[in-house]
Amino acid sequence: MQLTKDIIGQKLKSYTIQVEKGKIREFCMAIGETNPIFFSEEEAKKAGYEGIPIPPTFQTSFQFWGYPEIFEDMRKMGIDTDRLLHMKEEYTYLKPVYAGMTIKAEGEVVDVKTGKMEVVTFRTTFKDDKGEPCIIAEMGIILRPKQ
Amino acid sequence: MNRVKYENFQIDQQLEPIKVGPIQHMDLVRYAGASGDFNPIHTDPEFAKKVGLDGTIAHGMYVMAQVGKLLTKNFHLHQIKKFGVKFKGMTRPGEVLICTGKVKKKIDESKTILLTLEAASESGDVKLSGEAEIACD
Repeated sequence: MQLTKDIIGQKLKSYTIQVEKGKIREFCMAIGETNPIFFSEEEAKKAGYEGIPIPPTFQTSFQFWGYPEIFEDMRKMGIDTDRLLHMKEEYTYLKPVYAGMTIKAEGEVVDVKTGKMEVVTFRTTFKDDKGEPCIIAEMGIILRPKQ
Repeated sequence: MNRVKYENFQIDQQLEPIKVGPIQHMDLVRYAGASGDFNPIHTDPEFAKKVGLDGTIAHGMYVMAQVGKLLTKNFHLHQIKKFGVKFKGMTRPGEVLICTGKVKKKIDESKTILLTLEAASESGDVKLSGEAEIACD
C-alpha cells in the first residue's frame, strides 16, 4: 500500500487512560528525573500543584500503553512502519495533568508529504474528564528511503 | 522549581547544562518499560543489526526527556507552555549527552521567554534541537 495525502484528516482510535502515580514514579526513575514533586504528593502541593504532576514528556507513555495498536493502524494507512523514524515531537500545555485523572486521547493525521521524503504528522489532543484539552501533541515521523 | 520572574532572564542567558550518561543498555531497557515503547531497535542489538544499524540506539523520546529535565529543573511546570524538538541524530549506548538551553527571545507583552534547546554528545554531535516557551511572572 502506498502512502498518499488521502489519509490527511483520518482519525486515530480514541482511547482513555488513567494517570497513575506509580507509573509517573517509574517513568521519572527511568529518565533520571529526581524532582520530588513527581514522587511525593506533599512536596507537589508545597510547590503549588494540586497533586502529583506529570513530567513534560510523560504523555508519550499514554500512547504506548493506551494505544499499542497504533503501529498496526499506521500500516493500514499505508505507512511502512519498518522504515519509520521519529522526526519531530511538540507539546502545547494547556491545563495541568495530575495522577488520578482520566485522560481521553483523540488523534488524527494532519499532514502528509510524499515523494523523496515521506513525512506524516499526527496531532493528538489529550482531554480531561470534562472534555477540556490539557495537552496537544504533534508527532512527525519520517520514513527511511527504501533500500 | 519555583515560579520564575521575567526580569531575571536576559537574551543569550544559558541554563546550567545537564550531563547524562554514559548511557547504558540498561537505561534503554528501563525506558522501554516505563514508556511502553518496546521497539526492539532500542533494546535488542541483534535485531538492530538486522535492520542495518550498528547496534541499539536510544529512543528519541528518551533524549527529549533528558532535555525536559532542564525545564523541570529551572521552571515551574505551569509556566512551561510549549516544548518541541526535532531529532537530528542517533544516540548509542556509551555516549554522554550534554543538554543545554539558552534564552533566544523575550516577549514583553506576555512576559514570555523563548528558549532554544539542544542535546549533543561530548564531541558536539547534535542529537536533538528544540524550543520551549516559558510564561514568566
